[in-house]
Amino acid sequence: MTDNKMHRRDFLKIAAVGVATVAGARAMGKAEASSGGEKGPHQWAMVIDQAKCQGCNYCTLACRARNDVSPDISWNVVLPAGEIGGHQVFLPRPCMHCEKAPCVEVCMVGASYYRPDGIVMMDYDKCIGCRYCEVACPYQARSFNWEAFEGPNPAIPEWGQAEIARRPRGVPEKCSFCYQRIDRGMALGLTPGVDPDATPACVMVCPTGARIFGDLNDPESEVSKLVHSRHTVRLREDLGTAPRVYYLMADAEDFEEVGS
Amino acid sequence: MIAKFQARLPRPTPWLGWLAFLSLFLVAGAIGGVLVLWKGLSITNLTDLVPWGLWITIDLSSIALAAGAFSLCAAVYLIGLKRYQPIARTATFVGLIGYSMAMLCLFMDIGRPFKFYQALMYWNTHSLLWEVTMCIILYFTVLLLESLPIIANWEWLRSRFPKLTGKMTHVHHYAPYLAIVGLFLSSLHQSSLGAAYGVLKARPFWYKPEMSVLFMLSAIIGGISLTLFVSMLSSRLTSKARINDGLIERLSHFVGWALVGYFYWRFWDTLSMTYTYEPGRTEGLQLLTTGPLAFNFWIGEMLLGIVIPMILLLNSKTRLNPFWRMAALLMVVGGLVAYRWDINLAGALIVLSYLPGQPTVSYTSYTPSLVEWAIGLGVIAYGFLAFSLGVRYLRVVDHRLTEEEEHETVKVNATEPVTI
Repeated sequence: MTDNKMHRRDFLKIAAVGVATVAGARAMGKAEASSGGEKGPHQWAMVIDQAKCQGCNYCTLACRARNDVSPDISWNVVLPAGEIGGHQVFLPRPCMHCEKAPCVEVCMVGASYYRPDGIVMMDYDKCIGCRYCEVACPYQARSFNWEAFEGPNPAIPEWGQAEIARRPRGVPEKCSFCYQRIDRGMALGLTPGVDPDATPACVMVCPTGARIFGDLNDPESEVSKLVHSRHTVRLREDLGTAPRVYYLMADAEDFEEVGS
Repeated sequence: MIAKFQARLPRPTPWLGWLAFLSLFLVAGAIGGVLVLWKGLSITNLTDLVPWGLWITIDLSSIALAAGAFSLCAAVYLIGLKRYQPIARTATFVGLIGYSMAMLCLFMDIGRPFKFYQALMYWNTHSLLWEVTMCIILYFTVLLLESLPIIANWEWLRSRFPKLTGKMTHVHHYAPYLAIVGLFLSSLHQSSLGAAYGVLKARPFWYKPEMSVLFMLSAIIGGISLTLFVSMLSSRLTSKARINDGLIERLSHFVGWALVGYFYWRFWDTLSMTYTYEPGRTEGLQLLTTGPLAFNFWIGEMLLGIVIPMILLLNSKTRLNPFWRMAALLMVVGGLVAYRWDINLAGALIVLSYLPGQPTVSYTSYTPSLVEWAIGLGVIAYGFLAFSLGVRYLRVVDHRLTEEEEHETVKVNATEPVTI
């Protein structure tokens, strides 16, 4: 009987140590992944001028080439968004890079994370492919690699050269604001949003200049000026995700000017 | 002569027939599994809009139907309803099978199955699926420990390693502690599986706090029902299974009342969604009540899943009749599976626009592909096989045993005359 009791005590000790370990690790994890992430000196954002978008899809193609995206997938889609004054208007949709991104919050392995500069990034090595992020994203910004992308990319070389590695089968992928161009450009002393080599491919390629990219923390940047002076709209603002993509909505006046 | 020759052939017994039947599904499932690992998830009918389908339903259902283990263990060891211990023993084994089925199904479902261990390496404590994963792994360990005394019943193991089986049996002394841990972990993840849907603001049909409560309640009811049903069924099919009908009858009565409570919650849950308009939510409800899921909802979930078994189990005449009782318990199990299927799909089939202005609703569709069915049925066949083997070799359904008889006494051969 006494022997038996000892066993029980040992068992409880082991259980207590186990619970303490889990609790401690959890506290550490919390400190690491505070909501919204650490804010760095730059906060990248994009402004999309709907009135200027012609729906040419150059952005989609440049994105596909530079990020080596499969033709079955689009990180950046251009959606028809109805008619205004007889003009077809479009709504280009990259990843919104939300400040409170549902995909980051739900990802069980932390493969989706906030960069200090506000970019919502994917660590494709960590991802196990559960697709919870896809279910959680209100913007359908994520595309799952249902099969491996093999063979040549039809968008290369016409729309540019691949700048990042292809993603493996079984992970959801999405727009990263061309983080590779921003990082390399910054290292070379360039300014993203001003110098084409440091600017996302979609912004650079847009023939009408419908996309503007820059640092919200820099009051002199084009995006800061537009966001502060014009009326901008963010998609599904009611959800509280606080996207970093701002839209200048087209109205009938925009097209009158073009016509006259 | 002829009789002697015939005796040497493996006789086609019902047991062998059952094994052959199950192995058909197991082989089909294995082929499907190899295909998915080789070709990837592109051979399923899952899409970016409906990334979770049949496998998630099977996975959610098998975890929910495993909930008999924690609820009955808590009843026996924490509340003190000791006489139900033999049924808790059956439930524990059913639970072990349920969780292994779920893990098998998830292994097929994730995009990178051979990186599943990363779920343990990298933690995002904000994620409900992180919590669910941790709980499932820990609770599976608890179930394994709780099942050690059951596995120690295996004659083959017992005759070869009596010391080991003795130690395995000894684990039973920790049952109350395991029951506490099991209750803690199960309360967390059974509810969190519902909350995993409930926290998604982008999906208005799921976005509500009662998801966790409904998942938890339905799991307790369905889990106990499955344990009772398979116990009764095996006792009718084989002499290796012995039940204590009185205990099952009492628990069935409890299931009947629990269904009343569940019905109450489900009623208000549905009603509260009916009289307000929110884009996506109302449409999701319409999918259930008038759309493609209407048959599942009204017949599978409501009528057969709740109302009819509730009446059958609360009415003493039908409850005392083994046939009606079994039918009612089976209906409850079916109702739970229908609920998981409906909830997952009703939320996923609604596609909400994100263009500026009031969100508009469009619909998508999903029908599982052949390979999804093959793997899904294969996983279910594995569950049946594991339980059948348990009944045959581990005396999993033996409700005449009491705790003391099972663990403290030596085997007595009744045919030998007793000498005093």
